[in-house]
Amino acid sequence: MSVTFHRGSFGKILWIFATMTWGCHLFAEKPLHREIDKLIKAKVGEVPFAEVADDATFLRRVSLDLTGNIPTAKEVTVFLNDKSVSKRSDLIDRFLKGKEFADYWAERLSVMLLERLDLGKVPREEWEVFLRESLYGKPKWDDMVRQMIEAKGEGEARAAMKFLGKADHHLMTENVSRLLLGMDLTCAKCHDHPSVKEWKQSHYWGLFAYLNQTKQATRKKEGATYLVEGLATKKVEFESVFDLVKMTTGPRLPGGVEVEIPQFEKGEEFEKEAEDGLPAVPKFRPREILANDLTAKEYDLFARNSANRIWFILMGRGLSHPLDEMHSKNPPSHPDLLALLAREFAGHGFDLKWLIREIMLSETYQRSSRLPEGSAKVEPTSYRVVTPKGLTPEHLLRAVLRATGNVGEIKPTDTDPEAEKFDRKGYFMGSHDELPSSLDDMKAIFVQTFGDPPGQAEVDFSPGVNKSLFLMNDRLIQHWLKPRSGNLIDRLGKLNKDSEVARELYLCVLSRLPEEEERDWVTAYLSENAHRSEGAQGDLVWALLNSAEFRFNH
Amino acid sequence: MNPTKTSFSCGQAIHAMTRRRMLGSLGGLAGFGSLLHPSIAKQIEERKKQVCLIWLDGGISQYESWHPLPDSKFAGPFRSIKTSIPGVHFSELMSHSAKIAHKISVIRTMSTKDPNHSTGVPRMQRGDPLDRGVDYPYLGSSVAKLLGPADPELPPYVWIKPGNGGFIHREAGFLDARYGALALGDGRPPVHIHRPDGVTAELDAARNALRQKANERFKTYRNLSDVDAYETSYDMARQLMARKEIFDDEKLDPKDRERYGQHPLGRHVLQARQLLEAGVRFVKVNSYHWDTHGDNFNMSQRLVPQADQPFAALINDLDDRGMLDHTLVVMMSEFGRTPLINSRLGRDHWPDCWSIALAGCGIKRGAIIGETTKDGGFVNGRGYDVGDLFHTIYNVLGIDSHRVRYRHKGQKLAIASDDCEPIEEVML
Repeated sequence: MSVTFHRGSFGKILWIFATMTWGCHLFAEKPLHREIDKLIKAKVGEVPFAEVADDATFLRRVSLDLTGNIPTAKEVTVFLNDKSVSKRSDLIDRFLKGKEFADYWAERLSVMLLERLDLGKVPREEWEVFLRESLYGKPKWDDMVRQMIEAKGEGEARAAMKFLGKADHHLMTENVSRLLLGMDLTCAKCHDHPSVKEWKQSHYWGLFAYLNQTKQATRKKEGATYLVEGLATKKVEFESVFDLVKMTTGPRLPGGVEVEIPQFEKGEEFEKEAEDGLPAVPKFRPREILANDLTAKEYDLFARNSANRIWFILMGRGLSHPLDEMHSKNPPSHPDLLALLAREFAGHGFDLKWLIREIMLSETYQRSSRLPEGSAKVEPTSYRVVTPKGLTPEHLLRAVLRATGNVGEIKPTDTDPEAEKFDRKGYFMGSHDELPSSLDDMKAIFVQTFGDPPGQAEVDFSPGVNKSLFLMNDRLIQHWLKPRSGNLIDRLGKLNKDSEVARELYLCVLSRLPEEEERDWVTAYLSENAHRSEGAQGDLVWALLNSAEFRFNH
Repeated sequence: MNPTKTSFSCGQAIHAMTRRRMLGSLGGLAGFGSLLHPSIAKQIEERKKQVCLIWLDGGISQYESWHPLPDSKFAGPFRSIKTSIPGVHFSELMSHSAKIAHKISVIRTMSTKDPNHSTGVPRMQRGDPLDRGVDYPYLGSSVAKLLGPADPELPPYVWIKPGNGGFIHREAGFLDARYGALALGDGRPPVHIHRPDGVTAELDAARNALRQKANERFKTYRNLSDVDAYETSYDMARQLMARKEIFDDEKLDPKDRERYGQHPLGRHVLQARQLLEAGVRFVKVNSYHWDTHGDNFNMSQRLVPQADQPFAALINDLDDRGMLDHTLVVMMSEFGRTPLINSRLGRDHWPDCWSIALAGCGIKRGAIIGETTKDGGFVNGRGYDVGDLFHTIYNVLGIDSHRVRYRHKGQKLAIASDDCEPIEEVML
C-alpha cells in the first residue's frame, strides 16, 4: 500500500524536526509580518502606500475581525488614551485569548464551510460547540479539518462530521475540493476542465473514491446518527462525456499517488463486527486516510488554500481570488507571498492564531483604506491601500445592537417547545406585528436579508435594494431608535450640550470621535430641530447606521 | 460580486446612468449632449425592449384554448369560434383573444420533454439547457443579466404572484443573487418599501440628506466601487419608495380593472402593464391551479377566460400605447394537456404537442403556426422545444443567442441550448 503522506512515523519525525528547528529561524529570516510587507512592497516598487490607519480605525477593524463586533464607546476612548507603544499588538493578543474570538471565528468558519446549509443529522448547535471549543485555546487548523473529514467520533465527537452533511458522495467531493483545496472541480465530474489543463476528471474521481463508501448509520440505543464506511473493494469507474473512454481510479489526492485498495481474504475484511445498528468496521477506511493525507504538512494544496482563506477573511480578498479557482489560469496576485504563508502556516503546525496575529501585525493589514496622497485609484490587488470589507449579516446585527445600545433588549431564546414560535415569514410579509425578541430570531432576519442564498459562498460584498430598504425602514430598526432606558437615544436625550451629543453619537455608531466639521453639522442639525430633539437625534443615528462607513469594515 | 467587474454591463449601466442623470441635473446641457453619443443611442434602443411572461402553472389545455379541434375525437364540450384571422379558430373560452388574433402569434406544435410539474416548471423557465452541472437562471433573471435594467432605478425583474413575496434570489441560478426576482406577493409591494409610521416624506428626505453627508467624507480619497454600489442601492431604494404605488395592485384604475377582470390574474396582468410602462425590464405574472386532472371542462370554463381577458386587454393596451413593438408578451405553461379525457373527466400532462402564444417585440402579427395530427395529439412536421422558444425570445430581444455566452467559473455556457434554433416562422 503506497499512501503518499501517511501520518505514521514519517510525519512524527518531521514534526519533531520542525519543532527543534523553529529556534534556528529555518522557516523565515524575519518575523512573518515583516516578510509580508517586504513582498507586498517588492511587487510595486517605489510608489506611495496608504498611511497607517489611525487608532480608532485600527481598533474597529481588529474588533470586527477578531470579536465580530464594533468596539463599545468606552473601549474606543480607553484605546485612544492608551499611551503604550505596544497597545496594538497587546490588543490583538488580548482578543485572540478571549471567548469572543472563539465565538466569532466559529460562526465565520461555519458560514465558510457549510455555506449556511443545514444538512445531515448533527444538530447545528453541536457543530458550533465543536468549532468554538476547538478555537478556544490553541486551535490547529489541520487537526480541526482532520476531525471534520474523519468524522468517526462517538458521542460528542461526532459533531465535526457536520461538514460532510448527509454523506452525499458528490457534494462531499465538491466541498472537500472547493473549500479545502481551493479547487472547484464541479465541472471535472463529467470531463477534464475545459480551460484549466491541470484540473483533471481523474482528480474529481480520485477524491470521490475516498468518500464513496461513506454512509449514514444510526446507533439504535441512543438514536444518534454517524457516518460510517462500507467495504471498498474496487476502484471507481468514470468516463468523460467528450470521448466516452472508461477510466478507473482508486483514492487519490490531486497531485498525489493513488492509494491501493487492499484485497483481504474473505472473512478478514473487517476489524469490528456490526453492532447496535452500525455496520461492521472495515480494516481499510479510505476516508480516514483522506483526513490524514489531505491535512499533512507536506500537502501543499491544503496549506495554500488554508493560508489563502485566512488571508481573505482578514484582507477582504484572497491572494488567489476567487478562492476556489486556485489554478494556473488564475495566478495569485503575490505567488511568493502565498507560498511563504502556506509554508509558514504548515511549519507552525497550522497554528491558526499565530497566522492571524502575524497578518494583523503587518503594515499591510494596518494600513488605512484611504488612498495614498496623489493617487486617484489604486488596484486592490496591490495592497497599497486596505480594501474595505462588507460587514457580514451577523456583524451587522451585533453592530446595530451595540451602536444603538439595545443589547439589553435581547431575551433568551424560549426553550419551551410548547411556546408559540416567532413568525419569521409573517414578519417579512408585514402580516405579523410582533417584533423578534431572541437573538436567534433577530439573526435569522438579518441573515435572510443580508446573507447570500444557502449553498453560495459569501465572498464579495453585494449591496441590494432590498437590503437598503430593510436598514432604512424595518420596524426592528425603528424600534431600536426609540428611547428606552439606557439605550443610545435615551442617553443622548440626557446630554446637555449638542457637542456632547455629537461626540457620543460618533463614538457609539462609528467608533471614533467626530471631526470638527462633523461636529458642526451635527450641532447645526440639532439646533435647527431643537423643537423635536428626540426625533432629530434619531435621524442622526439613523443616518450613521445607513452610512457606508458603518456598513464596511474599512 | 462587485457590479463593475461583471462581464455584462448591467452593473455598470446602473452607475453610468445614475451618474449621467446626476450630470444632467447639475450640468444642464452636458447631460443632454451625451445622449447623442451613438453607443448611448444604442443603449436607449435596448432600453426599450421589455418582456411580460404570463405563466399558467399546472398546464392550460390547448384544446380549451388555442387549438380547439372540435371535430377531433378528443374534443370537449366547447365550441370553437372564429377569430380576427379568416380560417383560424380558437376555443369559445378565448373570446377576447379571438378578436386580437391578428396581433399575436400562436405556436400549436410545442413539443417538449418533461411531463412533471416539479421538474418541468424549472426546466421550461430555464430553457431546458444541456446539463452542464450548474443551475441555470430562470428566464427573467437571464434577461435581467443580459440586458440589465431598462430603467436603472427600477429592479430589472419583478414577479407578481399569489401568496408570498420578497426577494427571490433562487431564480438567478448560478448568476449573482441580485439578478433574482423582486416578488410582489398578492400584488403587494415589499413590506420595507413603506416609510415607517411617523416618518413624513419631508423627514425622510432630511435624514437621507444626513446620510449622504456622512457618506461624502467617507468617500473622499477612497476607491469608489463598493461604496458607490452601496449608495446606488440607496438611490434605487428611494426611487422604489417614491414610486411605490406602481407596485401596489390596490392603486389600479377601477375602469382598467373591469377590463382586465377582477380576479387575481386580471389584476396582476394589469399591474404588469403598469410596471412595464414604468420601465421594468421583465415582469412575470403567475397564476396557479391549472392542473385539471379532474373536471377539466368546468375548471377550464372558469379558468380560461381569466387568462383570455387580461391577455387580450394587455395586448390591446400595449398596442394603443405604441409599446407592443418593443414589448414581448409570452403566455405559456410547463406543458399542455392530454388529448385523451380520463375517467374523471380530466386531462393529464401532455408535453408532446401543445400550444403557446406570443406577441409584440419582433414577433409576427397573426402567425398561427404548427401542423398537428388530425386529432391534435402529435406534431406533424417540426415540433418546437423550449430551447427553440428561448432562442426566439433572445433574438427578438436583440441578443445573438448562438454567440452570447455566460461566463461562469471559467466555463462558457450557452444561454440557450446549442441544439436548438430560433423559430423563424413567428419572427419578423
